[in-house]
Amino acid sequence: MAQPTTPKTQGVPKQTQRVPPGSPVVQPSTLQERLQQNERQFAEKGCYAGITDLTLREDDPIKYESLHTKLRSMVVSAREMARRISASPGVREVGEMVVALYTPEGDAISLSTGIMVHVHTTSRFIKWMIQNGYEKDPGIRPGDIFANNDAFIGTVQVPDVMDVVPIFHDGQLAGWAGAVCHELEVGGITPGGDVYLAAERFTEGLFVCAEKVGANDELRRDYIIRCERNLRMPIYWILDEKAKVAACLEVREKLKELIDEVGIEFYTRACKEFIEEGRRAQLNRMRQIAVPGRYRGHTFYGHLVKGKPGVLAIANENRLYAIPLEMEIDKDGVISLDFEGTGSWGYHSMNCTPAGMDGGLFVTLTQHLNYDGKVNDGAWLATRMNLPPGTWTNPDRHTVATATSWALLLPAFGIFQRLLSRAFLSRGFKEEVFVGQVNSPMVEMGGISQYGKLFGCALFECAAAGSGALGIKDGLDTAYVGWNPESDMGNVEIWELAIPMLYLGRTITPDSGGAGKYRGGAAFTSMWLVHNTPELILATSEHSARVFDNAGLCGGYPAPTAQRHYAVRDSNVRELGAQRECLPHSLGPDPHSTHLERLVGGRHEEVEGPYIAAPLKSGDLFAHAYNGGGGYGDPIEREPQLIVRDVENGYVTPELAGALHVVALELDRQTDRWTVDREATKQRREQFRRDRLRKAVPVSRWIERQRQRILDRDLVDEVKNMYGDCMQLSSRFKDEFRSFWSLPSDFEL
Amino acid sequence: MSSYPTSVIRDLIDGNLPWHEVKSIMSDFKDDDRFFKYIEILQERMPWTEQILLPIGEHLSIVQKGSRRIVKCDCGHEFGDYRQNWKLQALISVRDDEQTIGEIYPGRLACDPSWMEIREFICPGCATLLEVEAAPPGYPIVFDFLPDLETFYRDWLGRPLPDEISEEG
Repeated sequence: MAQPTTPKTQGVPKQTQRVPPGSPVVQPSTLQERLQQNERQFAEKGCYAGITDLTLREDDPIKYESLHTKLRSMVVSAREMARRISASPGVREVGEMVVALYTPEGDAISLSTGIMVHVHTTSRFIKWMIQNGYEKDPGIRPGDIFANNDAFIGTVQVPDVMDVVPIFHDGQLAGWAGAVCHELEVGGITPGGDVYLAAERFTEGLFVCAEKVGANDELRRDYIIRCERNLRMPIYWILDEKAKVAACLEVREKLKELIDEVGIEFYTRACKEFIEEGRRAQLNRMRQIAVPGRYRGHTFYGHLVKGKPGVLAIANENRLYAIPLEMEIDKDGVISLDFEGTGSWGYHSMNCTPAGMDGGLFVTLTQHLNYDGKVNDGAWLATRMNLPPGTWTNPDRHTVATATSWALLLPAFGIFQRLLSRAFLSRGFKEEVFVGQVNSPMVEMGGISQYGKLFGCALFECAAAGSGALGIKDGLDTAYVGWNPESDMGNVEIWELAIPMLYLGRTITPDSGGAGKYRGGAAFTSMWLVHNTPELILATSEHSARVFDNAGLCGGYPAPTAQRHYAVRDSNVRELGAQRECLPHSLGPDPHSTHLERLVGGRHEEVEGPYIAAPLKSGDLFAHAYNGGGGYGDPIEREPQLIVRDVENGYVTPELAGALHVVALELDRQTDRWTVDREATKQRREQFRRDRLRKAVPVSRWIERQRQRILDRDLVDEVKNMYGDCMQLSSRFKDEFRSFWSLPSDFEL
Repeated sequence: MSSYPTSVIRDLIDGNLPWHEVKSIMSDFKDDDRFFKYIEILQERMPWTEQILLPIGEHLSIVQKGSRRIVKCDCGHEFGDYRQNWKLQALISVRDDEQTIGEIYPGRLACDPSWMEIREFICPGCATLLEVEAAPPGYPIVFDFLPDLETFYRDWLGRPLPDEISEEG
């Protein structure tokens, strides 16, 4: 069996990665040979599985489209059914599940709503089994169930556990049904699913590595026992397993009926045409709404763990990650993404495998380009990606931890969204311009539940961040995350059943959206009272520290995503309640102090970056802020009346309305309503423009001054280390850095 | 294929179209005549006459000026050849200390100026904020977009692009 070492996509267009053109023709008799033949045909002809003509589509379009609609309906209804089997509020409430149908070779044909990111990662999983001889050992038979959550085989992170079942028709493999749920607890070094403290694979929790976990349509008892004994909250994982198997079996049985109806030959050919049509549609869409050329962007991520409790010596360093992205759109409409210049993988949980990067790419494509018609692996075939070996995008060691890979993945594909948006803007499709997704840090926990039992849970209300602005309107407030277009925070009451914390409040976070002519969507902050537990271990994830891990567009500002955590131990909140005093329900609108400090007594904690600390207990308080989105356009072009609405509803404070949007607002204290003085606003904005010109300097002069700073190496260690790391991994970045600042040819950092 | 009156496109790009109409446009087939209607709307608004070849920002366009193709702001300010990064010809205001960052990201919303600075690229002509970069000190300024104009016009739009007579013009 092949060792899971360096994946094969790195540095080369993935269309040509495995079988070079001109390789000897092998008549396919095994699944492995069929997969190789598909890849060879793609390399030689540039189309999926040798499909040069969409003959079924042309000859009988009604039958062809009807089949596609039925397939789509099957996977959507299977997901809805299966969600009711799950015990996890992540799956039941928030919808962290997807169901999809695959060809025998593992290419996605049709997919449900939900966490579509995993449609292509599951494709990787199926292909990996084929490439590694599973047909022979352990065998692929009717009734088998295979599971995987190893990102080096094909998923994004350890909590994304996928199940597939083969679908046989008249003794022949006709395809695969697949389902993925995001697990709320995986048994890692810290509780929850994202296992923020994992420095290597060995502390990430329970791994299932492309394993046959069931036969005859039943999960194996020894597999269930393994889950029961290695997880803090096995009921979530095990019932999710049953939900996924049910979804797969539902798809399988319905598909068999459908194949009986249309015939296996028609079905097989039609599926190939669906994918080829999806590939062509992607290229056509690019030529229709984009502009060819080279696009560049970047963002950054601050990783702050040094000295925090539980951090191993090998991982005990703070890091700053640069995430540059270059996108090329060629004359055919093919997108090439290049992550050269980014940083190395590290002893932390935020690394990502090529499978995870594929997932990030796929879910972005399905939301921004390939959202109608045939949504399948065809779109993915019309793209290329360079993931430099040794970087966080493509670790060259399979023991690297990836449990929190979204921490870097979300900012990375947020850049992709902005680069695409530049193309949409140029082409005139401003309504498609989107400033992008942001990170959505999660609260994870374990310890003793309010029912007096061991528990573990990831609080998935994070699936409702603020989105970036659009080119014609504000971003969505508390309603979007990149990985699941069906974003949903879940009901407070449901979460309170799952965790030993009571909500004191969920509140819009003022000024959390990036400023702009159209502002980024606002985020929310939750505040909890720890309740009925002697031990609550909290570990948050994906929280950039010291830098914003998003950006604005066309003059809009990034959202402030370097927020902090607040806790109060041994609080007097119960006494406050008994005395009918004010309780804190949010951090409050003052960015310099919090309602916790002002209203509550006890031992106050303020933690920068991820919260990893000693356990909390009943009576303690905790607050966690999510992220808003970046803004679009110059903030002083924002319609003043919109700012009145922002201020009245708590999206923007009057202070920043004045500082950023430069409006003259007045509060009528009797009615508690704000009004705008349009004439005064106009005058202030004119003065503001004059002030801008007075304060600004020519870029050339600024570069001159900064050049000396670089020569003097007047940078903090984390910034110097970031440059040194990027230069070591990329000679192109090194050359461009030296060239931009006119530095000596031997300059190093 | 869809097609919309110029007045609808004008309202759409200005953010003045009701959301249900925008949603309908987004969900429908794309209108293949969008680009030239878009250009026409922008062109009639400009106080100058050079032909817009490609908008590249909320206020920036690549225009044909004689034999040259340059980046030009709505206000008329010219940034030079489109193949060079227009930002290098702009004005810049950098928030790189606690005070200036705190003016727009106060208190717990702030980034650490030793890790990240906020760069504001401003048009010297009209003082419009054209782009904002958030980057660590020392990170080179990004060249956002270099379009392949020839392929775009010739192969994608099927229209000729005014010939480039000489580099200097």
